[in-house]
Amino acid sequence: MFLNDQEQQILNEVKQFLADEVTAELVEESLHNELLYGGRMGREFVRKFAKRGWLVPTWPREYGGLDCSQMLAASIRHEMAYARVPMTFAGAFQGGPTILNYGSEEMKAEFLPGLASGEIEFALGYSEPGAGSDLMCLKMLAEDKGDHFLINGQKIFTTQAHIGDYHWLAVRTNPEGPKSERLSLFVVDFDTPGITVNPMITMAGTQTNDVFYDNVRVDRKYLVGEKNKGYHYILAALEHERTFPYGHYLRFFEELLDYTKTATRNGQPLARDPLIRQRLAEHETELEVVKHLYYSIAALMDEGRSPAYEASMEKLFLCEFEQRLAATAMEVLGHLGQLTAGNAVAPLNGLAEYYYRWTVIETIYGGTSEVQRNIIASRGLQMPRAPRR
Amino acid sequence: MSYRLDSEQSMLKNAARSFFEKEVSGALIRELENSETGFDRDLWNKMAGLGWMGLTIPEAYDGFEAGFTYLAVILEELGRSGLASPFFHTVALGGELIWILGSEEQKTAILPRVASGEIILSVAYAGADEPRSAADLPIKASTDGDGFLLHGSCLMVPFAQIADTIICAAQSGDQEASLFLLDPDTPGLTIKALQTTAQDRQSELLFNGVRLENDKLLGKKRQSWPVLQQLLHQAAVAKCAEMVGGARRAMEMTVDYSKERVQFGRPIGAFQAVQHHCANMLTNLDSSALITRHTCKQVSAGTASVADMAKCKAWVSDASRKLLLLAHQVYAGMGFMEETDLQIYFRRTKAAEQIFGNSSFHRETVAREIGL
Repeated sequence: MFLNDQEQQILNEVKQFLADEVTAELVEESLHNELLYGGRMGREFVRKFAKRGWLVPTWPREYGGLDCSQMLAASIRHEMAYARVPMTFAGAFQGGPTILNYGSEEMKAEFLPGLASGEIEFALGYSEPGAGSDLMCLKMLAEDKGDHFLINGQKIFTTQAHIGDYHWLAVRTNPEGPKSERLSLFVVDFDTPGITVNPMITMAGTQTNDVFYDNVRVDRKYLVGEKNKGYHYILAALEHERTFPYGHYLRFFEELLDYTKTATRNGQPLARDPLIRQRLAEHETELEVVKHLYYSIAALMDEGRSPAYEASMEKLFLCEFEQRLAATAMEVLGHLGQLTAGNAVAPLNGLAEYYYRWTVIETIYGGTSEVQRNIIASRGLQMPRAPRR
Repeated sequence: MSYRLDSEQSMLKNAARSFFEKEVSGALIRELENSETGFDRDLWNKMAGLGWMGLTIPEAYDGFEAGFTYLAVILEELGRSGLASPFFHTVALGGELIWILGSEEQKTAILPRVASGEIILSVAYAGADEPRSAADLPIKASTDGDGFLLHGSCLMVPFAQIADTIICAAQSGDQEASLFLLDPDTPGLTIKALQTTAQDRQSELLFNGVRLENDKLLGKKRQSWPVLQQLLHQAAVAKCAEMVGGARRAMEMTVDYSKERVQFGRPIGAFQAVQHHCANMLTNLDSSALITRHTCKQVSAGTASVADMAKCKAWVSDASRKLLLLAHQVYAGMGFMEETDLQIYFRRTKAAEQIFGNSSFHRETVAREIGL
């Protein structure tokens, strides 16, 4: 949206590519993979897409990027979302930048080209049954055996475990010492002996996973950066990578708008109902706000500044907006709103119904609204620490 | 594109911030609220001395011809100070109307005196509701020989009692609006003071057969509604800048208070219930500041659509109100005391929310613009 001519040209090519390549089947697969990368059709699509450097446009050219601005990266993600493939990449967007910043040369060479080209994908392995937002309390243990680490324990909500290739794993390597100096990050091949992945199904019908490690031996070269620095690496990555694209909700809103212009209730077009007019105008306004929260983070980073709380604010605002939008859609559609995708008579292809379930889940993923508010209060307003035990 | 100010705009912002911090105190605002005119001539002259009255007036009429974003910078700092000032209607609306609609003679006679601070303008156009068309204008103008005869009553006219010239919009035919330059002493015109939330000086204007000569017709045009409407949209955006400034100050004083006020052995700002209110305040503020900055830049560049401007006012009106209500929850008992400045911002924010159309008015505009 605010690009120089060369980057605008790239964005135009992206739009054309998406118009040509995104099929209904791909959208369907993506939706049912929680918009995550790794499905069969998704992989074919992304490999073609990523060949042009579009997946990681801000990365250096030597690792498959384009040395372009954050604004272009945000714009490409927006177009992908608007084309209904708002894929989230654990590797290209979260693990990759951390490897780029802190990984050894050997690790960069092994993983970055594959992540940039979409050949491989990671799965985020942070949450445990006893540690969600309270990341410093992870229990899963990696014992330092010199040339390798021996890992035992359980991860939960490893959402990409069934479709990704490697586990981007946060574990304890230091049982003692300050809590912030206990964790390390590893890249672990899911094919390593001793790893078991068990599915967990969400109320949106999507899959996330439990992952069990039983004496899993991981070579030392798969330790990311320095030992016991994992917590700091994760925080640094979260600051940059929490921004959620909104294009698919814009698209959905546009379809809802069209629906209200044609559908009638009690012999009157829905669009004439003053309450519906107010509500839809409110969402149109909220989408404008989301747009600025989203792109202003890229603008900030392109100015060489680091977002402190802004990404949390965007995530908070967008996710709560999504819930309101889905609720409005259900209200507009009346009892037809409950029809799921696949019913021939379902308005808007059943998306209202799906989003009504999914937006609850998305509001929790990546930190609940309340966790985002804690971050905004402490980093944005320097408020005193809440009492903790 | 950036959401930041350029270096000149930043300098203006810093100068305005220092000026208002030095010149406008809560004590002064209270004094003005209780005074007859609500107006401080010395302060006005100092502002004029800095060249602010001529900020957007073309150089040919002794102004600086700076863009809308510059105006928004001053308004944001004015809003931060909490001061109710005729600056808004003189510069953001009145001067613009004269520049766009006025005849060369009118522009030459009035604009340099606006730029120098010599004259104060007000604008009268609304009845019980914010108008959506010329047919909604409450004053009717009929032709009377060489001139016009005006009847009707106009509401919520700011600083009418101290204005040197009141620009009055009247219906002059089917879907036609004519704007007049009105001397407050014109026979047949009665100005009645109204009591308002913000104790700013708004008046009711009663036109009982006010006769105006042809030379009082602004720009000799009888079809001025589109210009007035466009400038009212822009004024709504300018008002957003003022609201952002006030909301920022209200949030800052509240967050500061939450860090000092100790209960149950710790600052109340350490409680998550309070932190979440404050996080919501910052979200309301940042979202308002971003959409306002962006829309101001669009207005400057001449690319702002009606929907863009309406979305801005709809959002900022709601977000500012929410922010102030949260601030009061955090500031609790002390926040609602007359002696605490927060209540000034609470009342000023409400006044800003209601003028130039509140959020439901602008949402209806948005609904029309998106084809509903």
